[in-house]
Amino acid sequence: MPGSSKGANTGQADQEKVLRSRQDREAIARLADDLLPALIAKLTASGLGEIEVREGDWKARLRKPATADAGRRSATRLAEAHAGHGHSAARAAGYGRAEERDVRSRPEDETVEESDRIVARSPAVGIYHPRDLAVGMRVRSGDRIGSVDVLGVQQDVVSPIDGVIGSSLAEAGEAVEYGQELVRIELPERPAGETVAVVREPAILAGKA
Amino acid sequence: MFTKILIANRGEIALRILRACRTLGVGAVVAYSEADRESLAAQLADEAICIGPADARRSYLSASAIVSAAVVTGCDAIHPGYGFLSEDGGFADVVRAHGLTFVGPPAEVLERFASKEATRRLLSAQGLPTIPGSGMLRDEAHALEEAERIGYPVLIKPSAGGGGKGMRLVRTPLELESSFKVSRSEAMAGFGDDSLYLEKFLDDSRHVEVQVAVDSFGNAIHMGERDCSVQRRHQKLLEETPSPSLTDAARQDICERAVKAVAAAGYENLGTLEFLVDGKGDAYFIEINCRVQVEHPITELCTGIDMVALQIKIAAGEPLGMTQADVISRGHAIEFRILAEDPAKDFRPQAGQVGAYLAPGGPGVRMDSHLYPGYDIPTYYDSLLGKLCVWAPDRDQAIARGDAALRELLVDGVITNIELHRAILANQVFIDGKVTTGLLDRVGSAPFVAAGNR
Repeated sequence: MPGSSKGANTGQADQEKVLRSRQDREAIARLADDLLPALIAKLTASGLGEIEVREGDWKARLRKPATADAGRRSATRLAEAHAGHGHSAARAAGYGRAEERDVRSRPEDETVEESDRIVARSPAVGIYHPRDLAVGMRVRSGDRIGSVDVLGVQQDVVSPIDGVIGSSLAEAGEAVEYGQELVRIELPERPAGETVAVVREPAILAGKA
Repeated sequence: MFTKILIANRGEIALRILRACRTLGVGAVVAYSEADRESLAAQLADEAICIGPADARRSYLSASAIVSAAVVTGCDAIHPGYGFLSEDGGFADVVRAHGLTFVGPPAEVLERFASKEATRRLLSAQGLPTIPGSGMLRDEAHALEEAERIGYPVLIKPSAGGGGKGMRLVRTPLELESSFKVSRSEAMAGFGDDSLYLEKFLDDSRHVEVQVAVDSFGNAIHMGERDCSVQRRHQKLLEETPSPSLTDAARQDICERAVKAVAAAGYENLGTLEFLVDGKGDAYFIEINCRVQVEHPITELCTGIDMVALQIKIAAGEPLGMTQADVISRGHAIEFRILAEDPAKDFRPQAGQVGAYLAPGGPGVRMDSHLYPGYDIPTYYDSLLGKLCVWAPDRDQAIARGDAALRELLVDGVITNIELHRAILANQVFIDGKVTTGLLDRVGSAPFVAAGNR
């Protein structure tokens, strides 16, 4: 039935549309059946928060559930709701909620950069003491990049991945809470013109690890 | 008075303490775990700080995380609420060592009353009648020997504990053998201390507790008693004051003896002395709780005293500001613990997201709850959703108000025990004021709910 009753002048366009939609369906099916399980395994095994693959017009991006982040966002909502009576203290304590909201409201094309964002977090409530590390310096996953003083006991702040030191999100001597974002860790250099680690499907499926 | 208090607890009690701080004009910081980021107390607080992950051992039970949070936020006192570290003398000591004040009894007072077994000896010496029991149990053989001497049935009780954790009722040596190790490991897991003792179990007894307050100058008052006989597996479900099982003379006698004994034993701050009352109306002291109780609101409703504010004032070194003659208890109050538990499925705790939520109102109705529509109930902690309390000039009217309020209370999204409470109110044994602690376990809750639905 479909197509048979249509006029000849629209027939070719229809055929193209059908063809394209079939290709699309096939691409989606392949992504779901072949690529996603492999990607999920990769993501789980890695220290990465997010992974993205592109093929042709298609792009798949996986992100680990960021529960703490989700909470922070709603805390921001609340801070707004209660702006009238004094969440200023929490903000002054440097939880960076307002800043985070701004980042998240950037236009779509810039979220690529945001998706790349990996941070070293505070392991405890205390006073933050960063190590003197220059921005751009290479670090390995597990490297100590600072400490949090908990009643005189130093707890290590470590890099969650291999990467380079990015911008600081907290000041030296600042009171920090558990899970607070302290230092941004960028992925090491990438090919010019690209803002995100783009890996061809075969490379991912073959797996270097 | 303090400038800023760190609230080291969660749920409804964190909210209750926050309210007390605000009425006192004291600043407050709510310390929360990652699982409680969305909690009402954390949201309403002027300041809130994440102290650790959902696992309570690394957040609400972590002395270093809590004290560090208090230090970095500039607090000068820590309120522990109930449960968690509220009766931990070691914690109170750490708090003091960092120049902060623990809102509760001073560390050495907590240490003195830390062992239930030692407390019974201490207060027995001050004239309180106690139930036959054992000393600290060395091992299983010792437990069997002591149980034989006391006479079955006996309760195995953790010396450090409360809230029914690690507690087991055993009727035979065989049951004792099979329960001993479980109790020991539960006590270790719950309180970090696995010492146990035995206590003679009184069938068909009532649970009555006396509320006292002692300031740092030794001034002491009692605020009457509460009857907590409606229990399920040693967990209180519904409490009322005054107790329908005591005559006025018996009430006055037990309250006066209790307050005299604790004052003489050097107790300080809020405290609750628990008694078992047998069929003849004789009361036996069993233990003291060195903290604010879950069921404190019913005492507040009858006396008009803000007990959390009083607790904070005493910790700040202020005098009671009242004498026994100033404490006048009026009318009758009942508390219903609203729990996310399914009475039809062996009271399995329920998790999930609260849909619609509506707290009841009207004369003499008070709802202490941290719920709000859309709140996700974390699975890591207890199942208490809130406390519905009612007050009326007499018990009959309090029951009627309680039922009306329970009908109004709406908690969508999770299964609760609201209907069970209505069934209890409609039960003749309850109406007659004759519920004993074992009743609900013996009868089972199904007949209650079935009868309530008729």
